[in-house]
Amino acid sequence: MKPRTLALFVAPSAVLMLVFIALPLVLVAVQSLYATTLVREQISVETCTPGFLAQTCTTTMRSQVKLDPSGKQMSETVFSGLDAYRLVLRLDQLAGAFAPGGGGYDVVMAIDFWRALRFTLTFTVLTLPLVIGLGLVIALAVNSSLRAVRGPLVFVSLLPFIVTPVIGALAIRWLFVGDGILTAGLRLLLQSDISLFAQGWTIEILMLLYRVWHVAPFAFIIFYAGLQTLDRDAMESAIIDGASRFARLRYVVIPHLMPLVVFVALIHLMDAYRVFEEVVGFTSQAHRISLQWLTFSFLMPDETGNRSITRASASSMLTMIGIVILLIPLVVRVWRDHKPRG
Amino acid sequence: MQPEGPAALRLSFGLKAVVAVFLVGWCVVAMFPLVWITVMSFRAPVDALSSNPLVVLAGPVTLRTSGGLSVLDFGLAGATGVGLYWLARRYRGAVVGSLSLGGSRVIGGLLASAVAAVVGAVVVLWLLPTLSLRANQALAAVPGAGWLASPVIGMTLDHYRAVWVQHGFTRNFTNSMLVTCGVVTVSLSVGTLAGYGLARSGSRLAFWLLLAALVFRALPHSVLAAGYIPAFLNSRELLAPLWNAPASGWFFRLFADSPPLLYGQPMAIIIVLVSINQPFTIWMLRSFFQNIPTELDEAARVDGCSHFGAFYRAIMPVMWPGVITTGLFSFLLAYNDYLVTALLLDAQSMTMVPAITQFLNRDTRAADQIEAIAAAVSITAPLFLLVVAFQRQLVAGLTQGAVKG
Amino acid sequence: MLQRLLLATLLTTGIATGITGQASAACAYRNTVALKTLSAGFDAWKAVTAAWAECGNVQSELDQEFRRKQPTAFAANPALYQIGGVANNTIVPLLNAGTIRPLDDLVAKYGQQLTPNQLIRVDGKIMAVAMMVNTQHFMYREDLLKELAIPVPTTWDEVLDASARIKASGKVQYPLGATMKPGFDISQEFINMFLGFGGVPVKADNTPSFNTEAGVKALTMMKAISAYMDPEFLTSESTFVARQFQQSKIAMSNLWASRAGSLESAAESQVVGKVVMAAAPAAMKGGKPATTLWWDGFVIAKNITDAEAEAAFRVAMEGIDEEMVKANNNTAVWLIKGYTPGRSAVGAIASAMAGAPNYPSTSAMGLVSAAAGESVADFMTGKKTAEKTLIDMEANYLLRAKEQGLVK
Repeated sequence: MKPRTLALFVAPSAVLMLVFIALPLVLVAVQSLYATTLVREQISVETCTPGFLAQTCTTTMRSQVKLDPSGKQMSETVFSGLDAYRLVLRLDQLAGAFAPGGGGYDVVMAIDFWRALRFTLTFTVLTLPLVIGLGLVIALAVNSSLRAVRGPLVFVSLLPFIVTPVIGALAIRWLFVGDGILTAGLRLLLQSDISLFAQGWTIEILMLLYRVWHVAPFAFIIFYAGLQTLDRDAMESAIIDGASRFARLRYVVIPHLMPLVVFVALIHLMDAYRVFEEVVGFTSQAHRISLQWLTFSFLMPDETGNRSITRASASSMLTMIGIVILLIPLVVRVWRDHKPRG
Repeated sequence: MQPEGPAALRLSFGLKAVVAVFLVGWCVVAMFPLVWITVMSFRAPVDALSSNPLVVLAGPVTLRTSGGLSVLDFGLAGATGVGLYWLARRYRGAVVGSLSLGGSRVIGGLLASAVAAVVGAVVVLWLLPTLSLRANQALAAVPGAGWLASPVIGMTLDHYRAVWVQHGFTRNFTNSMLVTCGVVTVSLSVGTLAGYGLARSGSRLAFWLLLAALVFRALPHSVLAAGYIPAFLNSRELLAPLWNAPASGWFFRLFADSPPLLYGQPMAIIIVLVSINQPFTIWMLRSFFQNIPTELDEAARVDGCSHFGAFYRAIMPVMWPGVITTGLFSFLLAYNDYLVTALLLDAQSMTMVPAITQFLNRDTRAADQIEAIAAAVSITAPLFLLVVAFQRQLVAGLTQGAVKG
Repeated sequence: MLQRLLLATLLTTGIATGITGQASAACAYRNTVALKTLSAGFDAWKAVTAAWAECGNVQSELDQEFRRKQPTAFAANPALYQIGGVANNTIVPLLNAGTIRPLDDLVAKYGQQLTPNQLIRVDGKIMAVAMMVNTQHFMYREDLLKELAIPVPTTWDEVLDASARIKASGKVQYPLGATMKPGFDISQEFINMFLGFGGVPVKADNTPSFNTEAGVKALTMMKAISAYMDPEFLTSESTFVARQFQQSKIAMSNLWASRAGSLESAAESQVVGKVVMAAAPAAMKGGKPATTLWWDGFVIAKNITDAEAEAAFRVAMEGIDEEMVKANNNTAVWLIKGYTPGRSAVGAIASAMAGAPNYPSTSAMGLVSAAAGESVADFMTGKKTAEKTLIDMEANYLLRAKEQGLVK
């Protein structure tokens, strides 16, 4: 295919991605380098507030945002370089933490960004093998079950994946929060007064398990489809060679599924790294926060209506760098597989 | 029933037992949360929020205040289920065959699913309740058999009524359908072309595009949404030059007299979701098209077709399993999206998923929470049907190489 | 001054309207302009928006997270909502951005029913119309306290004693409830306590002063009371606490007055008629109640046509008329003519009489709340000491204040 024809074929798709993904990304990168502050003036204002039915009026000096003639808030934008990154990373505190008597790990974990990074990485790295492992086991089990029950089994196994993530998280939360049915069950079982949302580690485990429950079916359906194309000849010759069940799994099935494992790993790394719904669904922000949640919290207007766009941009650029580093091994693999021929 | 392959592939009894136990366990884990919230949604708040599972299941307060299901009802429901299943098996082939317009079994399958959904809805939502009411009344009059017709398990539809009638969830449902269908259609049309182009080209451009798509796939959505919000809110001012410029103005004025406000527009959301979903779509479709032999379109090219002609004549007829599979993933993405739709749609144009958080955010009473649960179950039901209808095609599409790593 | 006038006026209006008030048609004004409203979702707003809906063509969005959407939605041109529900704090971003319109002419034309104190004036112009008073005040299970012969606590130290005795009795699962979810909820608990211990959060030059004795005392007290709460207190907001009351799991809480109504609903509450309101406890002996007074009301967007604004105002007036108040008398502590203060108003009135301050409608206060909302949880989980928490809270405040141009 000539590049011209190719360009015609991919143009609509490429334009969409350019305008709605690449452009916002460039904007965010630029935003992270500029600080915007509102212009205020000190004025004397008389404010009347009701009590119940009587009114108190007070005259106070207050800093009011200046409005331009068209009624918009006046603001100044100055180039701030990497200041926002410094504010998010808190490198000064980080250095202090590892100085003698600095407090070490605990101090680092008191900085939002590092705390979020710690959780996000743990979450990503721990769920990855669990999702792939569970997905593979379900796929093998379903594949070796009777043909008649495979349809319903595939259906039931897919349910956790198709369910809307927010709803899935809420469903789990409803089961566990406070005197939820499963917490009540656990209390009965363990004979202890356990509260799953009272401390960080239990919430973290719950979040991990929820994600595995939600995503393992995706790995399952991919692997299950892969098993359908398993080369019968290779399998039969392995049997003739007297390979044990485990050896067949190890030397025939797994290598066959390897490209799919890479695919699932790739997708899962991307998705797990942007963990967000769990933090919202489980109200875990007092104990555990994730990188995307951190960006989101900067973006949300605070009580004065101000969004910390600069810090949000900086933290999202840092998040980006993180995922790129994480993906390098897999991207290199894709690079090798799909390198332009000649 | 087909034989299960060579003897050595068969499992020993012990292993079979382990597999069976594992599968049963997994099915329980997979279904329990969903089944449980479904049960909760039919109970009065006091029952639903009880910490005793038996109370939630039996619903004594619900039974007292709003009645419930009798033994007869369970019998009827079971019979209906079996009947529907039998009907589906018996007539599936015939219906698909007769609806396959232009010989396309894909269209047949789609239409048949639609017919099945309508028949199922009529039976479950109208026939069954009517029948149950009459039968219970009739049976209650029969001496000695009255216990069959007296309610034993509490059930109430109040929360569903509140969600759908009182709070106008139908509007959100329509919005969801509009956005989802829009995203699937546009996403597939644009993505199929790109996927085909990329699969048939080994050029540098194709390679870099794929790599860029891979990186785009990894972006946190909140970052993108952050970029959209200001632009969407100020779209009238931002787009004004396009309308005012003499070169492009006449074109845009064909659609609207003045630039639109993009915030709260389902159309704008469709484009955004399509874009976010493009990387995944083109990767999947590309792998799928790579598995379609090049000889197929080359033969068409020899016959004098252009690339587009070859795509239309030779590829379109065989691409459906891959397209349906990719379409399912697009459907899930669009239907399930929370972050983007919550940030960019207002209450009137809101889809169902962000609307549910409104139920939670106006949650100041226990009843509100159960209503949120009822809404959650309502949102999940169409997904159920979707998987029932397309499970076969999903596995087939994946098997034929929509995913290759 | 305010406090003395308060009771008298409440009683007089109660009597006055008792004579004149008579129910009329559902909505006297037939609205033909499409209107959208955005407000909080507690019971009072449910009542008011239901009354608005009767006028026709009004779509109301009730959302406890409305404060996140409102500034952006009102800044759009045309604004996405014509009517917004606001309170002391949520009006600040709208005032700053200049996205709400002065209501003087509309009040003169259609606002005869309003009493002067319902008019929120900023720099002489009427910017909002208040409809109710809200405050975090002390709510307790009268039956339990009587049974255990515990006097109604008036200071937080007494609350601790009472909690210890209730805990020992084992009558309820946890003696106390509090809204300590990170963000707005926990920030209010901190601000109440901080003001109660005599703290002044912001100096005249807008720089913070949390790291004071009052700050340490406030945090220490919050930690002390948390020992008597459900260990999941860091996820609890008003709805959760109200539910704990309903299910008879807690005996006391310093909770929003607007939630009192839900405890009296027979359909879901097991404690109907058992919860009594009192003034918020003082932090120090002899001090003012450790709480702030709030108003809730509505504003009209600036970026809409005058015709829309007029329709919006007239609809809004219909929603906050005597008829609505009569039908929902105990849902809130209304500021509207026709309200008869019932037992649910006692606590709010008592707090006000004892000198609880108004919550300041300033940008600086918004930043205090934002900074506290993000910082206090680290102390409650034990990640940071009180001093370190307060230092970080000041840093958090300063960072925001600089972005806002409040501090150079």
